Amino acid sequence: MKRRDFFKKGAAVAAASSVSGIVLSSCSSSQNIIYDKTKDRWFHLGNGKSGVPNRKETKAYEVAVVGGGAAGICAAVASARNGTKTVLIQDRPVLGGNASSEMRVHLNGVNNIKGKAERETGIIEEILLHNRFENEQESYPIFDHVLYDFVVREPNLTLMLNTQAIEAIMDGNSIKSALCWQATTEKLFTINAKIFIDCSGDGLLAATAGAKYRTGREGKSEFNETFAPDNADGWQMGATLLMSSKDMGRPMKYTPPSYAIKYTHEGAHPRRHFKWFKDGIWWIEVGSNDDIIGDFEENRHKLMGYLHGVWDYIKNSGNFPEAENLALDWVGSLPCRRESRRFIGDYIVSEKDMTEHKNFHDAVAYGGWSLDEHNPGGIENISEPPSYFHYHFKEIYQFPYRSLYSINISNLLFAGRNVSQTHIALSSSRIMATCALMGQAVGTAASICNKYAILPREVGEQYIDELQEQLMRDDAFIPKRPARDKKNLAQKVTVIFANSTSSGDVKNLLNGISRDIYGEINHWQSDGLPAEVQLEWENPINLSSIELKCDTNVQRNIMMRKDSKNDDLYANHIPYEMIKTLKFYARVKGQWISLGLIENNRTRLIKCQFETLSTTAIKVEMTETYGANNVKLFELRCYD
Amino acid sequence: MLRLTISNKTMNTIKFLTFIYLTTLVSFVAALPLEKTNQYNLVVNHPGEKKAIEIVITQILNEEDFPVSYYMDVPSVICYEQVCKIIPVKLFWNNLGEYQIYELEPQSTLEKYKADSFEPKDYIKLDRILSNKHSPFKDVLYHQILTSPDDNDVDAVSGATALILDDEDTVPGAALGCYTLWHWANGEIVDKIKNLTGKSFSEKQLKDLLSEDKKHFFPVVIQELSKRNNYLNSFVELVIQKTLEEKILIQQSIEYLEKSPQNVYYASMEKIFIKGNENQKIHVLRSLMKSNYTLERPYLSRLSNHASSLKSLQEVSLFLEVVQLKNPVSEVVIKNIFPLLKSDLVIARSVYWFLKNQKTTVDQEEELKIFHEQNKDKL
Repeated sequence: MKRRDFFKKGAAVAAASSVSGIVLSSCSSSQNIIYDKTKDRWFHLGNGKSGVPNRKETKAYEVAVVGGGAAGICAAVASARNGTKTVLIQDRPVLGGNASSEMRVHLNGVNNIKGKAERETGIIEEILLHNRFENEQESYPIFDHVLYDFVVREPNLTLMLNTQAIEAIMDGNSIKSALCWQATTEKLFTINAKIFIDCSGDGLLAATAGAKYRTGREGKSEFNETFAPDNADGWQMGATLLMSSKDMGRPMKYTPPSYAIKYTHEGAHPRRHFKWFKDGIWWIEVGSNDDIIGDFEENRHKLMGYLHGVWDYIKNSGNFPEAENLALDWVGSLPCRRESRRFIGDYIVSEKDMTEHKNFHDAVAYGGWSLDEHNPGGIENISEPPSYFHYHFKEIYQFPYRSLYSINISNLLFAGRNVSQTHIALSSSRIMATCALMGQAVGTAASICNKYAILPREVGEQYIDELQEQLMRDDAFIPKRPARDKKNLAQKVTVIFANSTSSGDVKNLLNGISRDIYGEINHWQSDGLPAEVQLEWENPINLSSIELKCDTNVQRNIMMRKDSKNDDLYANHIPYEMIKTLKFYARVKGQWISLGLIENNRTRLIKCQFETLSTTAIKVEMTETYGANNVKLFELRCYD
Repeated sequence: MLRLTISNKTMNTIKFLTFIYLTTLVSFVAALPLEKTNQYNLVVNHPGEKKAIEIVITQILNEEDFPVSYYMDVPSVICYEQVCKIIPVKLFWNNLGEYQIYELEPQSTLEKYKADSFEPKDYIKLDRILSNKHSPFKDVLYHQILTSPDDNDVDAVSGATALILDDEDTVPGAALGCYTLWHWANGEIVDKIKNLTGKSFSEKQLKDLLSEDKKHFFPVVIQELSKRNNYLNSFVELVIQKTLEEKILIQQSIEYLEKSPQNVYYASMEKIFIKGNENQKIHVLRSLMKSNYTLERPYLSRLSNHASSLKSLQEVSLFLEVVQLKNPVSEVVIKNIFPLLKSDLVIARSVYWFLKNQKTTVDQEEELKIFHEQNKDKL
């Protein structure tokens, strides 16, 4: 079948796919599903009873998130925290997607802009900090459980693992239900929800809903993209299979398995280097010029062959004496995917939006990884560099909300690599922490949909300010969009002062910019500890929450790395700068009363919530950090 | 004497283009009296070196034994995979550790990536880069400089991106050399030179520098006085005077005065409090708050005579905190701060709440009642 033919028939193929033993009608409602399992009769030896197992369940949520990678987790947590009953459906036994122990890709983001990180904040940072506290040993399997903990502790959030959303049940142009197969229980779930968010990467649910999408590379002319090929084609960047090795302290032999594909490195481009081979080689990659999803198992087998072929080359070619004592101690069996379906939204982000830093009125996320387009062919085209690294950003770019919902399915949002963008744009935005920011944005948008009983497009048209403000309140950063939340009572303060200042200005805590950026200081930093910030209002206010954004040094990366790198750019520990201990006070009838004490703080966004009281002044006393001599804040908010 | 001795060939090439520029530079160096020098062995850290390095720096003195400048041979320009060569470079600073000029050995040239030679304009640009205290190299990380173009983003294993600097901030192809030299010129050595300069001053020179309008030397002088534990009245008075004139000195001066004997400390704090601006008053009050010296009761009463000069809530709040902590039941203080009830509401309110907890006279009690009645909705 030719590629074009495939894609013409793709939707039909997908609709016809079904789970073994189940006959599905093509659409309409879940009531029409015939679920014939009468031949499956159990016999209970203990009580002698017999019957047909009940394997059909219907559940209802306000928001259903499909895909448990960084984007999906952030979407689900954002939705749940904003008061929406949410389910997170993940087809693997673990959370984390490409960063899970099954795949072990570093959870990269804007790691490096002109020598420094511009690290993502909000939920993804909270996750990475949680990992720094719970997983000092930097174990990938433990990271799976850190993520599990992060999700299941949310009261509004239900997690379904080993569950794949296989088909959308439609009501007109709206998804009514997602049929989900849970492999471990043999159950078919019908998940009803008002809003669906597809963060699954490949986007099977969205595809079966009939959401428009494209695959392959746009031609140069369509979006005036410098780095696009002259003519459109079907190439999609490949998946990589990773591995890691350890030094056994003695020479270790290696014999490749039967399926290894011989690798010689002859004619390889010089950029195909082996600098980090101990922790995996990212250019062991196979893509597709056609149906990359359909090709997946074939490509997986090839990748396993290439992986062992390359390791054989490392171990047995004689070119790597440093590998003599190394042995593989983990090999992936699940390739880490980069690209497949890109769904169409009301806006398609393209190269120039990023390189020219287009200012979007509906910006909700950002990125800054380079335009890192891997070569067509992957390891099967070794004379080419593994990636072209077309363009390195000097500052971060915005990502608009209109690219995060479907143009033709009314209640469908996206986050991750499957959003509305060109192949070249994807080459940058596909990075996990960037996808996580999109996830938080759409999860928050879904909660606004639920709040006003509206659809995702209407959020963009009527409530974009509310979405942006909520995101920033929740510690997401939107470039060049200062927060101006009218509900923030700190904005109405009469006087603010600090007991000491070594850099910045305490008034910066009210300027709505929660990081130092574009060469401008937006912080206040104490001169020593303890430090105090006081706010005074001329008229009494009703207050129930004080929210701080403290320093976690967003210019240094904190994600877990296989090499446990610890230098000025990558830290393998809790940020020294973060506040550890602080107290909150309010002045009531002339007396300073304690509102709360936080010890062993673990987040950049610090909230102190209490029974509403009337006050004219508050004070925050900060006594300890995780190592820094001074405490640094970026924002202080007050709410009733 | 031509001390900017780049190779003859290079010099010939650049002579015409840079005549005026070099004349300026050379005149600085040529003017240096070279007769009197001192050499110092120091240990400094450099971000390109894993361990601290022992270096020798030469101090140049004028005829009056006044340290005027320094020079040092940079032991090596750190290189990586043929990006540049190791070339000795002599760097010059003034007596405050500010970079002035660099000098190469005769016949030496600087080179770039892939062995391209510096062009004439590159030498001038390098001097400009080294002169820029706020160069992007200040914040660039060493590992980033070491990232070669082949080490770019690798999404599976590393996140390194090749360093990208604007052309005006670096010599293209020689970023590592620029980085290394910038950190030699503007790194830890700056403070070391200031220390050497301060240490070299005689007592007379220290006093002269404070007496004369040599503002740039004030921090060095005050630091040196502190090190020498010099609290002679004549010096202390000069420091107070200069602190009141130069706002940026307050922190350093307070640190110096906090180490002085108790009587000197309190007298100094009082003078700065009375004559100082808002920020200076706040520094004094903060110092008083944490001081371990025993505060005599009349002291705060005297300070409270100037309560009306407190204009901001922070000053007033701090003052009240000091009073509460060090001298809580002073009739004089209470009397002196009562007029602050006429201030802006936020200040008056904090004074009101303070006074409510003090022992007051009947008249004062009445005044507080009136204040409460007038502002009860805003308390």
